[in-house]
Amino acid sequence: MSEGPVLLVEDDVSDFRLIQRAFAKIKPSIPMFRLTHGDEAVAYLAGDAPYENRSLHPIPCVVLLDIKLPRRSGLEVLEWIRTQESELKRLPIIMLTSSKHQLDVNKAYDLGVNSYLVKPSNNSELEQLVSAFRNYWIDLNEGPTL
Amino acid sequence: MAEPVLSTILLVEDTPSDAALIRRGFEKTKVLNPIVWTKNGQEALGYLSGLGQYGDRTKYPLPALILLDLDLPEMTGFELLQWKRMQPYIRRIPVVILTIDSATSAVNAAYDLGANSYLVKPGNPDEIMRIVKIIQEYWLGLNESPKLVLRATPDAK
Repeated sequence: MSEGPVLLVEDDVSDFRLIQRAFAKIKPSIPMFRLTHGDEAVAYLAGDAPYENRSLHPIPCVVLLDIKLPRRSGLEVLEWIRTQESELKRLPIIMLTSSKHQLDVNKAYDLGVNSYLVKPSNNSELEQLVSAFRNYWIDLNEGPTL
Repeated sequence: MAEPVLSTILLVEDTPSDAALIRRGFEKTKVLNPIVWTKNGQEALGYLSGLGQYGDRTKYPLPALILLDLDLPEMTGFELLQWKRMQPYIRRIPVVILTIDSATSAVNAAYDLGANSYLVKPGNPDEIMRIVKIIQEYWLGLNESPKLVLRATPDAK
């Protein structure tokens, strides 16, 4: 259904490895591309250097976005995406964060996040979460044209 | 921590047979979230803004999820989305579009108006039941819902 990869914006290496491992268990596999901070995410989505080549760096079908990120926070990235003039503003964004803080949750919805997921503390729950994410957002949900 | 109150689902659907099927789907999941059924956008707007009888938020709480059909009499799903995104607090409530319309233009317009997700309603009843189960598990289980400040407090007169 959706064509591009999943874009994961996650600065923490150990969290990234766990998420990557959970993605690796998904069959059939889905491509995932990881970025480590907010400015990088904006550059990637805007197609700025070094991400100009869209055959190498395609527009993702969905973004998994951490909140606490260096440079630009996940909420700032979300706000940037939603205020674009182009089709990019429709891009489905899902927060994947350890913050259950009410202010973060509400702010994300006010800025137009599609869904907000809290990183579980153990591996098997993370695998379940990634599998549910895939079933819902990749298989079931009808994505916009980007 | 206090026992969580089961979150209400607002279903906006003009076809009675589809509404009945969706309600039955929710009843089949073990979690019995209360479902409020409104038949068009106007009625849903009344519920969300607390007009008339809906002013009693203990009886008619703001929903944790809105399931919205698009092709509705009086006020369409698009018009409701447009209204909703301008409302403080209410704008946070996740909306899942559930419609038979799979046209790209409808999908894009719904996202542009702030829909959280877009699902195409299958024609087959078993498939509808399956999708309802997934909706329940994802949006009322896994997803972290926003907190709505508009809430009846026990000591409010």
